[in-house]
Amino acid sequence: MKDAAPRIAHLDRDRPLVEAAIVDPARFDALYRRYLAPVYSYAYYELGDHHAAEDAAERTFLAALTHLGRFEERARPGDGEGASTFKVWLFRIARNVVANERRTNRRRPTTPLGAAALATDPLDVEQNVIRRDEAAAAWRSVGRLPDDRRRAVVLRFVDELSTAEIAGVLGRSEGAVRVLIHRALRAVAKDLAPNRPGRRP
Amino acid sequence: MTILGREAAEVDALVTDVYLESLLAGRSANAARPRSPREAVDAAVRIASARLSRDLPRFHPSFRFEERLAVRLAEVAAALRLPAAAGAEGVVLPLRRPGSEAFDALADPLADPAADEREPGLPRPLLIGGAMAASALSLAGAAWVAWRRIRTASPMARAVRAAHARRPA
Repeated sequence: MKDAAPRIAHLDRDRPLVEAAIVDPARFDALYRRYLAPVYSYAYYELGDHHAAEDAAERTFLAALTHLGRFEERARPGDGEGASTFKVWLFRIARNVVANERRTNRRRPTTPLGAAALATDPLDVEQNVIRRDEAAAAWRSVGRLPDDRRRAVVLRFVDELSTAEIAGVLGRSEGAVRVLIHRALRAVAKDLAPNRPGRRP
Repeated sequence: MTILGREAAEVDALVTDVYLESLLAGRSANAARPRSPREAVDAAVRIASARLSRDLPRFHPSFRFEERLAVRLAEVAAALRLPAAAGAEGVVLPLRRPGSEAFDALADPLADPAADEREPGLPRPLLIGGAMAASALSLAGAAWVAWRRIRTASPMARAVRAAHARRPA
């Protein structure tokens, strides 16, 4: 059950784009377009502020472009199809940038209700209110998690990274990541339980 | 926590992980419900997973920000391309001492106190080529000047030397 070290994906779906960007840095744009939203989302969940998330995303991509020559694809057989070590590397940079930002400004994730409302249907007012409340409650619950559990949950549910990829980003074993997420889900379930009756249609 | 308890938690976490894999794969494929071990997962964990899967949106920055950063990255990319193009015609090789291992610029020079006592393993320095030729020319030049001083070509000097030679001792 215990993993010795974090596994990093083998079949890198970004390999052609990375190789092209190493030869010609102008072609980094394709990688940037692919990963801007996930990196920005991660930063936004961590920092709770659009401007801070933009700053973090900018620094992440500038660092990635400047240091692309140092990137090494770690080949391992048996990793999932479509996995990307570049994605892991990029999110590691994002994690460091966000951690630095939080250290500097002592930010904590907040609960931007307006942002939570973005996910709802603008035409159904009643449903909107319910969904907005539920989204805000879920957001608050995730925001109350300890840092490592919150990061793992955001990477899993928002950015849809695999367990192996999250292990690579956080520098933990896959088993540790699985336990982190499981415990986070139990905590969220406990947190949301009183709100469930009467709120769900 | 006992070893058995820890193992049980890891098994629960593994089952949850398999469930999440199918849940998120189902979301990606617009499936109505996850395909696998739903029943094996704790109901509360299942509900929490569904809530987070549904209620945690992915955000996208503004279009203006995206394009501004794209321009900035293009500028940096152009700056990165210039030095590479300028140096493309030459290759920089590290300096190596013949017969010795590669020079390690990061190695601590004070790490081995006995290093100064050992033979360096290098051949003695040689004067080669132009330096030797220059030295030989210098010696030849000095000899020629001395010879010329002795053998002065003026008639007066020759007459003096001849008279001196004929003079009885």
